[in-house]
Amino acid sequence: MFESFLGGFAILFNPETVFMTFVWMAGGLFLGMFVGALPGFTTLMAMAILLPISFFIHPLFGIPFLIGIYKGGIYGGSIPAILISMPGTGAAVATTFDGPPLTKKGQARKALEIALYSSVSGDLASDIITIALIGPIAAVALFMGPPELAAILFLALIVISATSSGVFVKGLLMLALGLFFGMIGQDPIGALSRFSFGMMDIEAGIPLLPMLIGVFALPEIFIGIERRATHFIQSSDLRVTGARLTFAEFKSCIRTIVRSTFIGTGIGMIPGVGQVVAAFMGYAAAKSASKTPEKFGKGELEGVAAAEAANNAVNGPTLVPLLTLGIPGDNLTVILVGAFIAHGLRPGPQLMQQQGDLVFAILIAMIFANIMFLFIGKVCIPFFAKVVTIRKSLLLPLTLIFAFAGSWVFRSQPFDLAVLVFFGGFGYIARKLHFDVTPMAMGFILGPTLEYSFGQTVILSAGNLPGYVFVERPFTAAILVLTPIFTFLMWRRTMRLRQRFDQTS
Amino acid sequence: MNQTVLSRQLNFNSVAAIVFTTIGAVLFFIAPSQIDEPLIKIGYGTQLSPELFPRLVAVSFFGLGIWLLIASFQIRQRNQLRELDREAITNVIVTLILMAGYVYVMVYLGFVIGSALMILVMSTYFGNRNFLLAGVVAVAVPVIIFVLFTKVLITSLPPFPVDEVIPSHWIIYDPIKYISNHSII
Repeated sequence: MFESFLGGFAILFNPETVFMTFVWMAGGLFLGMFVGALPGFTTLMAMAILLPISFFIHPLFGIPFLIGIYKGGIYGGSIPAILISMPGTGAAVATTFDGPPLTKKGQARKALEIALYSSVSGDLASDIITIALIGPIAAVALFMGPPELAAILFLALIVISATSSGVFVKGLLMLALGLFFGMIGQDPIGALSRFSFGMMDIEAGIPLLPMLIGVFALPEIFIGIERRATHFIQSSDLRVTGARLTFAEFKSCIRTIVRSTFIGTGIGMIPGVGQVVAAFMGYAAAKSASKTPEKFGKGELEGVAAAEAANNAVNGPTLVPLLTLGIPGDNLTVILVGAFIAHGLRPGPQLMQQQGDLVFAILIAMIFANIMFLFIGKVCIPFFAKVVTIRKSLLLPLTLIFAFAGSWVFRSQPFDLAVLVFFGGFGYIARKLHFDVTPMAMGFILGPTLEYSFGQTVILSAGNLPGYVFVERPFTAAILVLTPIFTFLMWRRTMRLRQRFDQTS
Repeated sequence: MNQTVLSRQLNFNSVAAIVFTTIGAVLFFIAPSQIDEPLIKIGYGTQLSPELFPRLVAVSFFGLGIWLLIASFQIRQRNQLRELDREAITNVIVTLILMAGYVYVMVYLGFVIGSALMILVMSTYFGNRNFLLAGVVAVAVPVIIFVLFTKVLITSLPPFPVDEVIPSHWIIYDPIKYISNHSII
């Protein structure tokens, strides 16, 4: 693995490509911050709509571009949260506790700067931890065969279904629906045509890109159009005022940033929890550790630092289960899986073995992205502060045409636009009825791999599946036995975190 | 009386459960007719049938549907579709109609014209009255998106009338060779 790590440097700093890699990543960061700063426009929507761009460029550019959107979007949400108490993303809700009071005191600039520095610090530290963890986990994962892979995928899908939805069985049903959608087209073992119901357009399966844009981006647009409003906000003073953050003030927040970084990193590795809970946990921990907890909620810099370091620290570690085992931890990483698969890179143990250098190049690029993150954030704060004044009545149709263009370029077939609208409508109704589409998207993406590994296991078992698994594959047997226990523990932990989140908020 | 109690207890989760259970049952029975027969049984020995995995999924649907049906009487969730007011429903329906029209216009009149019309109509419907700004955005943004997808990412969008203005062989500067899908490693 260490050779792959060194190989990653060689790939990243290839003189022919290094410039373009950083240009694409800077573009992703800028777009992420831009969308993150728009209330009602989520990072998820930005990643889904811009996903097609990453499909048609080299993975060394396309995946850092998406990671840039991911990182930038999580930070961008803090800008309107601080200035107008309107979080651009869910991850920035905890920032509204202390950000707006600081703005009222005339310290908006300090608040925005501590948010930026905390976000970059949390992101950078968690990226380094991610790289340190990925090698050993991937080395262990390499010893897995089809039975172990099938068992791990099964466990992951069940755990994510349990933790992503408020009601366990609804998450499982959405997973089953995703597995069914994934079965349409051809079976992964014998390439037999199935469940196309006589429709030529789905003989090769449901197209991935229109489906992902449909379920993740269109529902956000539908929710955005429920109310007619020309602007996101009617009028507000959006000037970034006050003195700059001093080094002494930043130094006083370092302990909080470190604590929140560890909280965010730990939460990032747990599937289905995410940035929102991390921000609240970081905030609550900072408040309880503070000598002056009464100042929290009244304009305390540490409050902003705690929330922002924690939510950005989630970004890197979500890639650990994704890259080593092929398990996306949340809806944002599902989109990253889509990008990997589009490039013929299926996340999982084999990816680290076959394309370890490329994966490490992407991870190292993430570390350097933090430097650009700091620079772009610092220079563009006044611009992003004004983003909320953009006309919503113009931005919504623009988002929509980008979604349509992205769906069209996948195969240049009008049918794909129908798929986009179908899944958009489905995602909107599902959200209104409290069905989470994340397990469905995961079932759709991971279903064929699960079926293939399961089929290989059945063939290897030579007609005696239980005997083969429980006698010859003890690791597989252990995973299967532990699946209900682990699922229950993860479900209970997530429910407790959500309860604490509800209490704090 | 019984009917009233039943209607109080049957909720959207119960209905969803019945739909899922039905899908599971239908899927289980139609699986053989919806899967092609293998000409040569490569990979399919006596122990592995092509129907195995689909039927496992169908059984999961059925079982989970029953589970949700039982659980639905205990789950307390609001049906947010019912909470949508007239304005929200109208806006969503109008947007869906606009989207259907957009698909038609985009395919037959090209991406740029279709998108320009979509931006103008939709922004006006949602309250924009600055028509000069809308006009500039409606022309500029579709052209930029068209150039991005067709000349930088080398994909295709319905071209008319831009292909009359920009030659189809024209692509943006030389480093393009590194940002198409060619291997660089």
